[in-house]
Parts: sequence; structure tokens; C-alpha cells
Amino acid sequence: MTSYQSELGGRSNVAEELAESQRSISIAEFFEKNKHMLGFDSGARGLVTAVKEAVDNALDATEEAGILPDIYVSITEAGDYYRLVVEDNGPGITKEQLPKVFGKLLYGSRFHVREQKRGQQGIGISAAVLYAQLTSGKPAMITSRTDGDSDAQYFELIVDTDSNEPEISVDTTTSWERPHGTRIELEMEANMRARQQLHDYIKHTAVVNPHARIEFEEPRERLKFERVTDQLPAETEEIRPHPHGIELGSLIKLLDESASHTLSGFLQSEFTRVGQKTAESIVTAFRDRHYGRELAWKPAPAPVIESAVSDVVNNKSPDATATFAQRVAGAVSEQPRVAHHECRAIVANAADHVKSTTGSTFGSTVQGHTVEAIWELTLDGVESELTELIDEVTTARKSDETIDGMARRLVTKLNGVDRHRLTHGDIESFVERAATQTEQRDDVTFGETAQQKVIEGVWSISSTVPDDPPSVTAVSNDRDFASELLEAMRETDILAPPTDCLAPITDELVEEGLRKEFDADFYAATTRDAEVHGGDPFIVEAGIAYGGDIQSDGSIDVLRFANRVPLVYQRGACATADVITSINWRNYGLDQPGGSGTPNGPAVVLIHVASTNVPFTSESKDAIANVPEIEHEIELAIRDAARDLKRYLKKRRSLQQRKRKRNVIADILPTMAEKLADMTDQQSLMIEDSLARIMSNVLIERTTTDDGVALTVTNHTDTTTELSVTDIVSVDPGSLESATVVEMDGEWFVTWEPTVESGETARLQYDLDGDAEFDISVEGIEAEKLSVTA
Amino acid sequence: MATDTTNQSEAVAREQLLDLAAEFYDQFADGAVPSMQIPTRTKSNIEYDEDAEVWVYGDRHSTRSAKTVSGAKKLLKAIYVIDFLSTQLDEDRSSTLRELYYLSESWDHEIAQFSDQNESNQLIEDLEIVSDVSREDFHMRPEESGATLMGPLQLREQTRRGERDIHCQKDVGEGGYQIPNNPDTIEFLDNDADFVLCVETGGMRDRLVENGFDDEYNTIIVHLKGQPARATRRITRRLHDELDLPVVVFTDGDPWSYRIFASVAYGSIKSAHLSEYLATPDAQYIGIQPTDIVEYDLPTDPLSDSDINALENELEDPRFQDDFWTTEIEHQLDIGKKAEQQALAARGLDFVTDEYLPSRLDEMGVI
Repeated sequence: MTSYQSELGGRSNVAEELAESQRSISIAEFFEKNKHMLGFDSGARGLVTAVKEAVDNALDATEEAGILPDIYVSITEAGDYYRLVVEDNGPGITKEQLPKVFGKLLYGSRFHVREQKRGQQGIGISAAVLYAQLTSGKPAMITSRTDGDSDAQYFELIVDTDSNEPEISVDTTTSWERPHGTRIELEMEANMRARQQLHDYIKHTAVVNPHARIEFEEPRERLKFERVTDQLPAETEEIRPHPHGIELGSLIKLLDESASHTLSGFLQSEFTRVGQKTAESIVTAFRDRHYGRELAWKPAPAPVIESAVSDVVNNKSPDATATFAQRVAGAVSEQPRVAHHECRAIVANAADHVKSTTGSTFGSTVQGHTVEAIWELTLDGVESELTELIDEVTTARKSDETIDGMARRLVTKLNGVDRHRLTHGDIESFVERAATQTEQRDDVTFGETAQQKVIEGVWSISSTVPDDPPSVTAVSNDRDFASELLEAMRETDILAPPTDCLAPITDELVEEGLRKEFDADFYAATTRDAEVHGGDPFIVEAGIAYGGDIQSDGSIDVLRFANRVPLVYQRGACATADVITSINWRNYGLDQPGGSGTPNGPAVVLIHVASTNVPFTSESKDAIANVPEIEHEIELAIRDAARDLKRYLKKRRSLQQRKRKRNVIADILPTMAEKLADMTDQQSLMIEDSLARIMSNVLIERTTTDDGVALTVTNHTDTTTELSVTDIVSVDPGSLESATVVEMDGEWFVTWEPTVESGETARLQYDLDGDAEFDISVEGIEAEKLSVTA
Repeated sequence: MATDTTNQSEAVAREQLLDLAAEFYDQFADGAVPSMQIPTRTKSNIEYDEDAEVWVYGDRHSTRSAKTVSGAKKLLKAIYVIDFLSTQLDEDRSSTLRELYYLSESWDHEIAQFSDQNESNQLIEDLEIVSDVSREDFHMRPEESGATLMGPLQLREQTRRGERDIHCQKDVGEGGYQIPNNPDTIEFLDNDADFVLCVETGGMRDRLVENGFDDEYNTIIVHLKGQPARATRRITRRLHDELDLPVVVFTDGDPWSYRIFASVAYGSIKSAHLSEYLATPDAQYIGIQPTDIVEYDLPTDPLSDSDINALENELEDPRFQDDFWTTEIEHQLDIGKKAEQQALAARGLDFVTDEYLPSRLDEMGVI
């Protein structure tokens, strides 16, 4: 009994109780409880993420300041914990900013900016500080010196998780040998299980940042990566958002903060690729949505209008009235179709004219009556016009009664509408209703297709109203208005965003980077043109390295990068993995059992996606999301590079075949020749010519006479060959017209550069006195295609 | 006389072989790619020679050229074989095809060795065609022995151990006279024969001999021993040409046996280059014909799939494209049966010599 009673009265108490225990949670607290969302789930992983955040920052900062990056990373054991130190030669951080940068989550200069940057959110390094303090209890130790300062700043701080503010325990100056830069030291719980990932991260960072010098020290190893170019990546421009890439909430926020008064001004100043014309188109689309359009109908004939107008005009001189009426009637009847607002404009115009010519004022009341009169007249013809229209747009199969029925019902609805001003949605519902009624009452079909046609037909005879759009403030305060504006923006055709906000690595440097790190036989790289996804521009680059020292058994290595940052984890969830497994690599010369899945072979494939907004699958920024436009570009980029690989492999195979053939034939032919000479009892044969012909080679032979030397070059291949033939002679041949002669250490290098067409022979000769020794060297052709008997 | 001709043809053979070698040598000396052209030896490349009335090779050629690895290997082998043959002729020795295959294993160059006997057989045939010399003249012998003859014929054979004069009834045992590998070493001296009867199976041949058929009808019985060896075909041709005797062929009633007839009468596909030398175009076919199977109600076996295949192949074979053969083959496909020649024994052991052969030979106008 007691419990039941307490329940009865207790409902609201429970709610109150619950309400009491509710409180807000700070971001820092949230992070504390959800470290895995940001890449700090395990000790091993945490270390990698911390290194990543610090190095990303260092690279971004140095690049922004136009400095070639010098970065030092060290991981050492410190009792139960690990000590991470990252030092750079960047521009440094000011005393005021520094605590916030390291001690406050979600603080950063990059958050608001649409630019290709490594860290897309400022949460990075402060999360590492928080993680370090949570696991080791020790504060972060940060040293920073800006250019020009005599000393460096030294801070020891932690993140206050309740307030999300930095809590500084030490704040002094100190001397530092670097003229400018930043150094962060963290002590955290970690382990080196992720040694491989760390190495990969550093190594791959070096590959895609060929302008950076990186030194990496960990308990077992020391790696150094020198820079291979002094060229900093191109400076990127910040861009404003694109109208097609913005969400409703952000739009309202922009409207709120905007200083513009008119919508047109707002659009032009806040968005990229919106000039006056585009703004006008958007506003027109907005007006249509917001106000609707007015239907325009055929005007009555001029005389009829004239008399109607004359009727409604009172108290004006007959002259003025006549002029007025004539003018109005003339102008209106001239139009093929006229909407209510157009009538008004014409009438106002006429009033002005009359005023200036006759001095008679036709004020707003008179004008209003006139417009109404004209409109009444026009309305008379609506039903028949509608009938005509419906007939035109629908197929011949609709019977006259059906069409009449529809027209009639539509007119009934329209009559209730002031000025025939309707939104598209209004028209849709009218037509639908009329169709349903027609179907029910008249027992005919008027299906969706027909309805669509009628809707579009009616919309096409409507015209945009000239009403002023609401102000920016008005729109920002009304969610529906903002929604209409957003729809209007999305509907309008707008140029793709500019791409100078992006700085791809460029295919030359992609190749350089791969060359630096992998000792391969073949390299290919390609950079695609910029494309757009969801209003954000992006560029995809791909590179392939094949053969050489790359491990040949097992699957290929895939290096993934987003905005020049290596993606180390979650390879399977990444869009790049999906694209790679879906390509038929057998077509390009790699082994791929079953025709799908990751291929095998001695190859490394590199993919880089650069964007102002790279879509990731989760907050830990490990894997690129499956956005169709991006996947498509990745596929095209890979195929570009793979085609080069295919060509290379094909050529290599054919050269190998040639070699094999040559080996066999070079074995057989001399034996044949010898035996034949034996059997027919003739002198032994010189078979080089036959051999060259068989191998479709270029044959070079020498004949010496008493006064000179002749080298004949015969081209048995099927393409023209350009060679460089150098004969190293022990005696001075003098100067020659057709060749260059260079003397070195008592030997004369006689060089010709003959071009020999297929099937032709070239003669290279020079005079010589006495005996000499010769040594010939040929360049410009593969060894397999050459036969030399000189 | 025979010796002289033999010696002469051997000298010619040797010269032809060396000519071939010289040609290759010249090709090398010119800096050209050594190659050799050979007619293709398939049934799509045999045509009927009106004058000789036999089937010879047409114009389609294939070229063995040192340009490709396989071509070069073949040419190397060919040159080794030419070398061997010319030495063999020089030393007046002979060898079998099989011996050649084994011999090649001793050659110094690994690539020149043959991988199987088929390869060496083919090469000998190639050389025959290209040098226009028969392999007998190279002193190359096949494994199979030639026919045996039984009949009223007196001949003289040149052997290693001197001349021999032999009568093929009086001077031979039950087995008959075994012809040598090169029947051109035989000289016909005298005969009392009216026609030549070629018999496929040993069983039927023995039956004929036991029943004294050769005596009674004055016929030379030639035992083909299945698919006849070249020597057999050669001797048959010589008997027809030199002794002016009609030739009839008596085999089983199945497609393989029809081919036996074809190789005697028309020339074989494999040695079409020697058809003029080996084929007897006037030879006629006695039986067993498919109509016989029906008429005499012989014990039969059903046609197997490969039999049917072979029959259908024969319908495409240019050598069988006449009315007689097309009718008979189609008839056989209809009845779906085949019969051996010895099945005639179902009508009694003497049926073949008393009834079947005499009436058929009479029909054909041979006797």
C-alpha cells in the first residue's frame, strides 16, 4: 500500500531526482572517458598518435612560415613510462598562445579555415598532453622561441579537464641554442609494440615530404631521412565555402555572423564562386521558393481592356483617362502572357507617363482598381487556356472530357488564390487533388506521369515575382527561410570551387620520394586534376615502385596519405583499400589470385588524397571514407600509374625473351656453321650477319685495310635506330668531318652519332696509318638488340 | 645391273644430301637466315595427278627457318642427320629408323638429339622430299618387314652374300617368300600368273594357301600384313607395271582396312611424294564390302565411335571421293556394322575360295 501510494505521487519526483543528477560534461572530461575516439586507445597506439600530432604540427608550422623543416623525434625509456620529445625549427609559438595550443582541447587556428592542412582539427597535440598527464601524472614540458626573441619560453602545463583550460605549473624564460622553433616533451604510458607502425609513419612521412629532414631515435634504432629537394610545397590559399558544400546549421550561423544586409551581398561575400550574376540566380530561386511565382495568362484584346479601364477610372479628365487606358491596354495586350505583378508594373508605368504628359495624377487607388479590372478580364480566359495547356502536355490518349474535368477543377482551386501566386509545392498539391477528383468522379485515369507534365506545364507559364527578398537578419532568424535559401543554393548551377587552395605533392616529387626510400627497378607517379566532393575540392595522386630490392613474396605494400600525413592504422576500412582490391591487377602484370583482393608482387603503391576537407571514417583520422567521387579519382590515378607499370613489364619480358632466344641461337648457329663447313669441305663461316638478321638486331662489323678502318652499321630491326658509336683507337686518326675526336691518356675516342633506318646500312670510316688497336663501345640501344663483331 | 642401278642411285643420294648442306652453307655465307621449305603433309594438301593417276602433294609449304628457336633446333638436327647419312652411304652401311633415334643420343650437341623416334622419322621424310631421294636410297630401313609372296613367280635377289634365284612356290616354305627392305634389288625372271591378290590378314592368307588358291587360279598372293610397308607397296607396283598383271586387294570390311586399300592404290598421305613410285592406281577393291555384309549375312561387330569417326573422315578424304566409295561408306554408316574377312568362314571354310572370290573376281572381269 505504501509503495503504491508513494508511486502515485512520486512520478514528478523521479523526474526531479533525475534532473538533479544531470550536469554538463566538459570536452576534456569526455575525452578522458573516450580516448579511443581520438586514437589513444592503447599504449602502443597512443604513442603513435602523439608522434603523429606533434610531427604534423611541426610540418604545418614550418611550411606556413616558409622554412624547410628540420624535425627531431626521440623516444626513450624513463622508468615505467616513455619519454617523447619532438623538436622542430618552426617559427615558434607566442607566450600568449602557447598554453592554449597545448593545454586546451579544440583550440587551433586550423579549425575554421578551409585550406589543405594536415591536422583538420585543433584537437591534436593537446589530446596528447592530456593522455600523457592521465597516464603518467606528469605535465607536458614545452620550450618555444620565436624569431627575434633573445630567449625561449619554457612552460610546464596540464589540461584542466573540468574547465578545458591549461593549468600552468611553470612559466619562465630559458636560453636555447635554436634561433626559433618548438620543443615538446611528454612522459606517457606506452610500449613499443607499435615499433613497426612508428617506423612506417616516420619513413612514409619522409617519402611524401621530400623537402623535410627528419631524425628519429627510439631505444633500438636511429633513423635519419635527409631532404632531397629545397623546394617547399606550393603555398595554399584559404578559400571560402562553396554553396553546394554547406549544411543548414552552418548556413544559419554564417547568416547570424554576417555583416551583410541583403541576401545577394551575403552570398557574394561569404561564398566562393558567387559573383553578382550567380547571386541573382540564387536569389531568384529563393524567391520562387519563398513567395512562389505568379501564373501568367493571355491578356484580353486591347479594346476590351481599354473600355474596362475607362470604366473604373473616375474623376479624371477624359483626355487623361483615354491616354491612360490606351497606354495600358496597348502595353498589356502586347504581351503574349501577363502575370498580376506584370500588370501592376505596366499600370504604374502608364500612370507615370500620363503624369508627365498630362499632369494628371493616377494614384495608387486608381492604379489598384485598374489592375483588378484587367486581372478580372484575364481570369475569364483561364479555364480554356488551362484546357489547351493540359491537352498539349499530356498524351493524345486523354479524352476531352478528362482534360475538361481537370481544367475545371484546377480553375476552381486557382480562383481561391490571390494573384495566382503559388509555390511549386502548391501547384503540385492542386494538380494532385484535381487528378484524384477527376479519377474518382469521372472514372478515368490521370496518373503520375500525366500529373507531372501538367505541374511542369503550369510552372512553365509562371513568372518570378519582383518582391524584395527578406533581409539577412530575417532569414537568419527563421529556420524555414534559411532552409529555402539552402535549397535555392543547391539548385543553382555554380562553378566548381577553385583549386589553388590545394598543394599536391606533384608527380615528380612523388617519384623522388619513392626513389629515396625504395631501391626499385621501376617508378611511376601521376597527379590527377582537381575534383570536387560535397563542395570541397580534392586532388588524388598515385605512385608505384616495382622490382629491385622490394620484397617479392607476399602482397604489395600500400602507402596511404591524406594531406601529406601517412595513414597507418585501419587499412582495411579505408577507401583506398577498397579501390585497390576492386581493380583487376592481372591486367597490369601483378599476381592476383581469384582476380580480386590485394595483389601480390614486389611492388609499392602510394596514394595521396589532398583536400580542404578529407572525409575520414572516424575521428582518429585513420581511414578515408568511401565517398564515390574520391574513390573514382583514386581508381583513375592508380590505373594511370599501373598502365606505366604494365608497359615496363611488357618491355622487360620481351627483352628477357630476346635474351633467351639469343642464348639458344647463339649456341646453335656456330655449331651448324662449323658442321656445314666440315661437310662441304669449305672454309669456316662468319655467321654474325645471319645471327643479327635472325635476332633482328643491329649489326656492327669492322673491316680494316692498309689505309683505314670502316665500321658498317646494318639495321635489321624494324624501327629507325639512333646510336652513338665510339671507337677507341691507339693511334691518332686526325680530325674527321663526320665524327668527334677526343684524346685522353694516349687514346683517341672517335664518336659518331649515326641514324640508321630499318633495313639500311651506314658506313663509318676513317683513315689510319699503320697498325692500331681498337676497342668499340656502342650506346643508344639495349645490349640484347646489338650484334658486334668489331 | 641391279647393282649398278643401286650404286648409281646411292651416289645420286649422297650428292643430293651434300647439295642440301651446300645450300645451307651458302645461305650463311650470304648473311641470310638459313631455311628449308617443305610441302605440308596433311590431307588438305594432296591432289590428284592426272598423268600419274596417283595422289601427290600440292603447293602448300611450310618453312623451317633458323629465325625462331624451334626452327633453328630442327635445322641443326637436319644437318646432323645429313652428315650421318652421307657418312653412312660413304661406308656403304645401313641402319633402321629406330637406330637413328638412339644414335642421336651420342651426338655431342644436346640440342641435336631427338626427343622421340617420331621426330627422327619425320625428319627422314622431310629429307626425302627435299632432296628427292627415297630413304631406301639413304640406306634407312623401317622396323616392319615387307610382304611375303606366294605364287608362280621366279625372281632373282641381290643380297649381301651374293645373288639368289628363287621360285615363290617351289623354293619357299609355308610362309612364302619374304621380300627384302629394298625391293628394287629384285629382278623378275619368269612368271605364270594371271593376277596379283593382296590380302590383309595372315589368317586369310594361310587359308588361301592351304586351299591351293594360288595354284588353282594362277595368282600371286601378297600378304600385306596389315598397313603395308613401303617395300610391299613397291613390289605390288612393280608386279603390276613390269609383269602387266591386274592387282586386286582383299581386306576386312572396316574403315582402317579401306585405308590399307587406299595406300596400295592411291598413295598414302605420309609418303605422297613417293606415290608415283609406290602406288598402284589400277588396283581394285574386292571386299569385304558393306554390301557383302548384308548379302552374305556375315557375323558382324557394331561400329565403335572411332570407327564412325574414321568413316566420316574418309568421306572427306579426297582419295575416297568417288561413287563407289561414297555409296559403300554411307551404306556402312547406315547398317552400323563391320565384318572381318575371316567371317566368311561362317559359311564354311571353303566358301571364300569356292564361292566368294571366284564370283567376285568374275564380276570384276579379272578371271
